[in-house]
Amino acid sequence: MEPEDDLCQNNWGGSSSSSSSKRREQVCFTSQHKWEDASILDYEMGMEEEPAFQENSNNNNGGQVNVDFLQGVRAQAWDPRTMLSNLSFMEEKIHELQDLVHLMVARNGQLQGRQEQLVAQQQQLITTDLTSIIIQLISTAGSLLPSVKHHNMSTAPGPFTGSALFPYPREANNLASQTLNNNNNNTCEFDLPKPIVVEEEHEMKDEDDVEEGENLLPGSYEILQLEKEEILAPHTHFCTICGKGFKRDANLRMHMRGHGDEYKTPAALAKPNKEAVPGSEPMLIKRYSCPFPGCKRNKDHKKFQPLKTILCVKNHYKRTHCDKSFTRSRCHTKKFSVIADLKTHEKHCGKNKWLCSCGTTFSRKDKLFGHIALFQGHTPAIPLEETKPSAQKGSSACENSNNNNTGMVGFNLGSATNAIEEVAQPGFMDGKIRFEDSFSPLSFDTCNFGGFHEFPRPMFDDSESSFQMLISSACGFSPRNGGESVSNTSL
Amino acid sequence: MSHSILSALSEDLLVRVYGFLDPPCRKTWRLVSREFHRVDSLSRTSIRILRVEFLPALLFKHPNLSSLDLSVCPKLDDDVVLRIALDGAVSTSRLKSLNLSRATAVRARGLETLARLCRALERVDVSHCWAFGDREAAALSVAAGLRELKMDKCLSLSDVGLARIVVGCSKLNKISLKWCMEISDLGIDLLCKKCKDLKSLDVSYLKITNESVRSIALLPKLEVLEMVSCPLIDDAGLQYLENGSPSLKEIDVTRCDRVSSSSLISIVKGHPDLQHLKASHCISEISLSFLHNIKALKHLKTLWIDGARVSDSSLLTLSASCRALTELGVSRCVGVTDIGMMGLARNCSNLKALNLACCGFVTDAAISAVAQSCLNLESLQLESCHLITEKGLQSLGCYSKRLQELDLTDCDGVNDRGLEYISKCSNLLRLKLGLCANISDKGIFHIGSKCSKLLELDLYRCAGFGDDGLAAISRGCKSLNRLILSYWGELTDTGAEKIRQLEQLTHLELRGIKNITGTGLAAIARGCKKLAYLDLKQCENIDDSGFWALAYFSRNLRQINLCNCSVSDTALCMLMSNLSRVQDVDLVHLNRVTVEGFEFALRACCNRLKKLKLLAPLRFLLSSELLEVLHARGCRIRWD
Repeated sequence: MEPEDDLCQNNWGGSSSSSSSKRREQVCFTSQHKWEDASILDYEMGMEEEPAFQENSNNNNGGQVNVDFLQGVRAQAWDPRTMLSNLSFMEEKIHELQDLVHLMVARNGQLQGRQEQLVAQQQQLITTDLTSIIIQLISTAGSLLPSVKHHNMSTAPGPFTGSALFPYPREANNLASQTLNNNNNNTCEFDLPKPIVVEEEHEMKDEDDVEEGENLLPGSYEILQLEKEEILAPHTHFCTICGKGFKRDANLRMHMRGHGDEYKTPAALAKPNKEAVPGSEPMLIKRYSCPFPGCKRNKDHKKFQPLKTILCVKNHYKRTHCDKSFTRSRCHTKKFSVIADLKTHEKHCGKNKWLCSCGTTFSRKDKLFGHIALFQGHTPAIPLEETKPSAQKGSSACENSNNNNTGMVGFNLGSATNAIEEVAQPGFMDGKIRFEDSFSPLSFDTCNFGGFHEFPRPMFDDSESSFQMLISSACGFSPRNGGESVSNTSL
Repeated sequence: MSHSILSALSEDLLVRVYGFLDPPCRKTWRLVSREFHRVDSLSRTSIRILRVEFLPALLFKHPNLSSLDLSVCPKLDDDVVLRIALDGAVSTSRLKSLNLSRATAVRARGLETLARLCRALERVDVSHCWAFGDREAAALSVAAGLRELKMDKCLSLSDVGLARIVVGCSKLNKISLKWCMEISDLGIDLLCKKCKDLKSLDVSYLKITNESVRSIALLPKLEVLEMVSCPLIDDAGLQYLENGSPSLKEIDVTRCDRVSSSSLISIVKGHPDLQHLKASHCISEISLSFLHNIKALKHLKTLWIDGARVSDSSLLTLSASCRALTELGVSRCVGVTDIGMMGLARNCSNLKALNLACCGFVTDAAISAVAQSCLNLESLQLESCHLITEKGLQSLGCYSKRLQELDLTDCDGVNDRGLEYISKCSNLLRLKLGLCANISDKGIFHIGSKCSKLLELDLYRCAGFGDDGLAAISRGCKSLNRLILSYWGELTDTGAEKIRQLEQLTHLELRGIKNITGTGLAAIARGCKKLAYLDLKQCENIDDSGFWALAYFSRNLRQINLCNCSVSDTALCMLMSNLSRVQDVDLVHLNRVTVEGFEFALRACCNRLKKLKLLAPLRFLLSSELLEVLHARGCRIRWD
């Protein structure tokens, strides 16, 4: 925390010393920092702890900051004093901005002939400050209405959102972040290119079901019907120069860049049809029909339900009217006509580890238990892989030691042959103490332990249970002779 | 002559006579004649096997057995069970009850064989089998007629295993799942859906939530619900029970931290016939509304509210309405004084058990009142009641002729006179005098001479008496089976000679007694043949001669603690190989034993050990195959 704090303070202090007229960019950052610092002061509780808040001095994540900021405000109970300090702070801020503009006006008089770039920078600077004031104002207003959720505030059209500058407050946030980014200072902020959303095929696949609820009046849209060959063609976008085919328009545009500089301009790279000219009349909505006769998606069907996009048409046609050519490499049980469906299946296949005795598998334990509760006699199955090690653990361990002659046998049987083998094992001779006849339990009885032969050996001891008798061999169990034969072998 | 008289009796007459005998006499009966022995063999219905070698023969000899206890049979494993099954001569079809507690070496194969062999099986106890998991549960579920199942501390059992049992044994009416930590709400839910006949359910210490209580509340016949220390269950969960489980008679919510009196009130409201309410250490205060609702329980017999703040007035109100109360637990209750206790004694004359541990304000007056009015008192816990003196004990001696259990641990006021009074309670079975500093040989002499039925005597850290007191005990209390003498500095070999006379002794703690040597231990080993538990921790002066004697005589020893003893390599090996029933051994800080000594000793007993405590460094010094074998045989090693 400390170093970051310092960094923040230093920036602020350092940049405040430099005159705003000298380096506008710097001023721009400064004002942003000042804002944050001030807010730290305002909400000293909790806000200082917010790491994202302070790290942003290096990070151009302005939008994130503001969101945190808003949450911080919301988290607090509404306090008139906070409100007052907010308002006075805003007032101060506006005055500052006013001064700045005054300065610019004065400068403009002097530096008429300077580059356009400077003008853009100034504009950007003002924009940034205005943005932050607006955000501050919105958040302040938000704290007045505790019931209003932060999300609503930022998306619902507020008093400032009607302005031409910021159609939506969230974009204003983005803008604020963009202005922080000095890479962007040559481009115009107002038509920030939206990130190209690459529409994944399998993301779209449910769409032909989703739009069931869409109630478009017949005739309010234009119906297009593609031919079967067109639908099944691997590529839909073709390069006009070399003829190479692409699945996606965006990929084609990327490819086109290789054919010359004229394809590298922003206009050529922009997504067509997306930026509708504001003045033009609204375009008729396009919907698609399946070429398969009798299909519900075919326009001649009584209850015709149109498909939304070309992709929907493709997936629908492949799923319903084509052979399922993609098979699972592992289980070969399921077939798919759309490769994305196979991929989705593979993602979840094998996760059905909850198995019922009836053979049904479940991906979740609670589903299995619900199934078992429902049906009489069904039980959860225990996977077979676990069977072998757990069931035969004991005996296999014994067998192991048996093979190695490591002594287990000696204990189990107490036989002399094993004892001899054991002595032959070098590892067992290393011990300091050496038991002549191995350490089979029998040996202790035969060993001469000093004067302890004087103890009278009780042969039968009627204790605790009447059936309890003494035996000297530790485990001379033999199944056929039972208890009777266990008489002392050593005596 | 006697022979002719006996031969006149017909077999069915003999069987009838035999039916009146109690177990010790039956032993003698068996020795009378062949005929008597036959009667015994045929009439015997329950048996506890100590050595697995005799199991087939015994099962063959006693065809009418209905109960078989294998819990102290250390070498029982799958192979033994399979061999019995292959033998075929054994009749197990009448066997109804099977105790496999701590039989960790019996796994799925063995259990399945047993379950198939004993077709009439109704009760099974597999508690403390840490290796008992889902496969074992699946094997056990073959026994479809199972009514009672105890699975305490089956640590590997999960919901899947429980589901197998639940589906296989749908007639279950009693199940205990205490400490089965893997069991979750899903398992409990399925149990409650499938076993509608369940009458008794123990879910203590499980990590189950309110959802489980919701399922449990749907059991129509549930009578006993134990949920000690369920940390995730709160008031909202218990409220499901208000309108559920209509025949609930007993509920135990001891140490459920998130349960308050409000939910107990709702349970009480829904079950006016509740007989046992155990809510120790979960409610902090007896509120008026709680009291008001408790008053409505006319049949309340047991009430545990240990640890709560109880005022005298509330105790009076309580006792005035719940007159049937036979058991009350108010230990560690702040606010319990003589006034409250005297009121209780006046009203609840049927009281049989009273726990007043750590109620520091209770004096002789309260004890006298309880003794005079509650003539049926059988158990009284007065641990750390420092104001109790000989006067209180005098009235106990005068009136409480039925007293069986008395706990006076850490009561400074107990002196020789007090013990003299107590000795008049001739039915006393268990007496705890630990940490009582003011007693001497004289007091102990009184106990020894009069309390001849005593089974258990706790003299932990009692400083003031010597070998003479012990002599009196050993002369008088012949049936004593549990004796705790730990940290009692004055015990010498002479005293040990006295202990030798207590032939029934099974549990002996001699921790920290420096004066006892090999001679003393040898005497004890020679005399107390039934010894099953022996604690010799920090008995530093016992030499190998003592351990050798132990190895020769104490063949019934099941659990032994040898920490800090000066046992040698050879003595340890001999102990471990000769004590053929030993299951649980503590072998920490044995300075004279080498790594090889440990290796040999453990190899000698690895097929029967269930629990073992060793110093952590040995983990890397002992051979890996030894540790593997130990693990495979179901032995748990605690590395200290």
